[in-house]
Amino acid sequence: MNIIGLKHVTLKRGGRTLVTGFSNVIVKGRVTVIMGPNGTGKSSLLLALAGMMPATGKIILRGRPLNEHSRAELARAIAWQGDLPPTEFGLTVAQRLQLAGGEHHTDFSKSVSLMELGELLGRALGDLSSGERQRVELAALMLRDCPVWLLDEPTAHLDLRHQVICLNMLRRQSEHGRAVVVVLHDIQQAVSIADDVMLFDGRGNIAAGDVAVMLTRERLQAAFGVSLHDASLLLDYHVQENGHESTQ
Amino acid sequence: MLMFWLVLGAGEQWINPFDARGQDATILWELRLPRLLIAFSVGGLLALAGAWFQVLLGNPLAEPYVLGVAGSASVGAVAGLMLMPESAWVMSIGAFAGAWVGIVVVMAFSHLGPSRVLLAGVVLAAFWAAILALLLALLPEHGLGRAFAWMMGDLSHSDIPVPLLILAWVAALACGMLLSRSLDMLLLGERHASALGVDVHVLRRRLLWSASAVTAIAVTAAGTIGFVGLVVPHLMRLIFGTLHRFVLPASAVGGGLLLMLADTASRTVIAPAELPVGVLTAIIGVPVFLYLLLRRTS
Repeated sequence: MNIIGLKHVTLKRGGRTLVTGFSNVIVKGRVTVIMGPNGTGKSSLLLALAGMMPATGKIILRGRPLNEHSRAELARAIAWQGDLPPTEFGLTVAQRLQLAGGEHHTDFSKSVSLMELGELLGRALGDLSSGERQRVELAALMLRDCPVWLLDEPTAHLDLRHQVICLNMLRRQSEHGRAVVVVLHDIQQAVSIADDVMLFDGRGNIAAGDVAVMLTRERLQAAFGVSLHDASLLLDYHVQENGHESTQ
Repeated sequence: MLMFWLVLGAGEQWINPFDARGQDATILWELRLPRLLIAFSVGGLLALAGAWFQVLLGNPLAEPYVLGVAGSASVGAVAGLMLMPESAWVMSIGAFAGAWVGIVVVMAFSHLGPSRVLLAGVVLAAFWAAILALLLALLPEHGLGRAFAWMMGDLSHSDIPVPLLILAWVAALACGMLLSRSLDMLLLGERHASALGVDVHVLRRRLLWSASAVTAIAVTAAGTIGFVGLVVPHLMRLIFGTLHRFVLPASAVGGGLLLMLADTASRTVIAPAELPVGVLTAIIGVPVFLYLLLRRTS
């Protein structure tokens, strides 16, 4: 079931057009992975979907234009995870989680235990590593009862173990009916969780469709401007393990 | 209560508040009590404004005077002194008008992000400092003493009636408490706060107006008193944690108590002469702050 619709969406930042006339739908119960070169507007698209960046065209949430929803309504429908929050004022892990949904949330213990934060609850965010802070943000996201999750490179600071935990968690959340939209740079990670892919080409166009159709050699080469033969160091492991033909 | 009793009784001569008669009672209730209440409310207002500015600008070094409001108020006060040297009121009116001129100028930049508002404020503060230096150079010599006494903080009287100052303290604290959860979310940065449902533009504008208005009231009542607005919110965070439902009331009370103590010390240390209260706030506050910082770090 569609929860967000995009109609002829155009995004600009600093006088530069990032996305031109993009139309698509975000569907509940599916993981949509956004991929593309740096600076092409992936994070901006996430912000626009969260109602935090102006866009021309129409973004429709549950049948109503996004800009007709109040900020509180948007916060109930859409959870966004992007940059790590600042640490200057000494907020602790427990307080950060409390702001997301409260320690009385039924999933509080579950999210803390899944992200392995039990020992860190009393620590200040500023005393944690980037990876630990990323895990705090993921646990905070789990406390948001929103049908749409938007995540900007959630595995960026994580070690291998927590990358796996994170991707499995996202997969499970979509199976429970959430629409999960996630920006990723790692093709193997994308293949492992994506149902749908939006592929930016760096010229304002986004191709979108099923993962098997989108992550092909030709499309990836065209989008990133690199021969996949040159990128074999990055891709062979996946090819051997998964035998996924689309990236060979 | 013990502190109130001590600071009320302390002065050039100790007077027991429970046993004051005749002239002692007059000194106690008509001179010392109003001064103590001015110190308490001004200290509390400065600490509240400091806590707000720090969150609003996302900068722990922010304080009530960071956007140049104290500078423009000083310009107004000294301009008032130049125009009507004999009138006590004109200096306060000038300070209040000057503070609001400063606020209106800063508001023109309020739509920019926190770091640019801060930059604009710092540049404006330098501009007001230059104008102030110019006015001081032109001020007749006999006016310099009053101008400097005002600029270093003067709690001996307030042209804003004491009940109004206390009302401002209560109103500011109530406002802060209503916004405390939104302020907590703003600690996560504007995008995270927005994603959690805070209308960040509205909140920022409200905070900027409230913090500036509170600063204008404090500056008009007592001149410029540094340090309280910068350090008290940090002291309270070190003691009570980060959440604003604790930090704001603790700052309102803690800032008031610190300024009351500092004022009492400024009246008694070299009595019958008085020290500028701003000097004392720094001398008392810096060691306490550094001690707590070291204790927390270790």
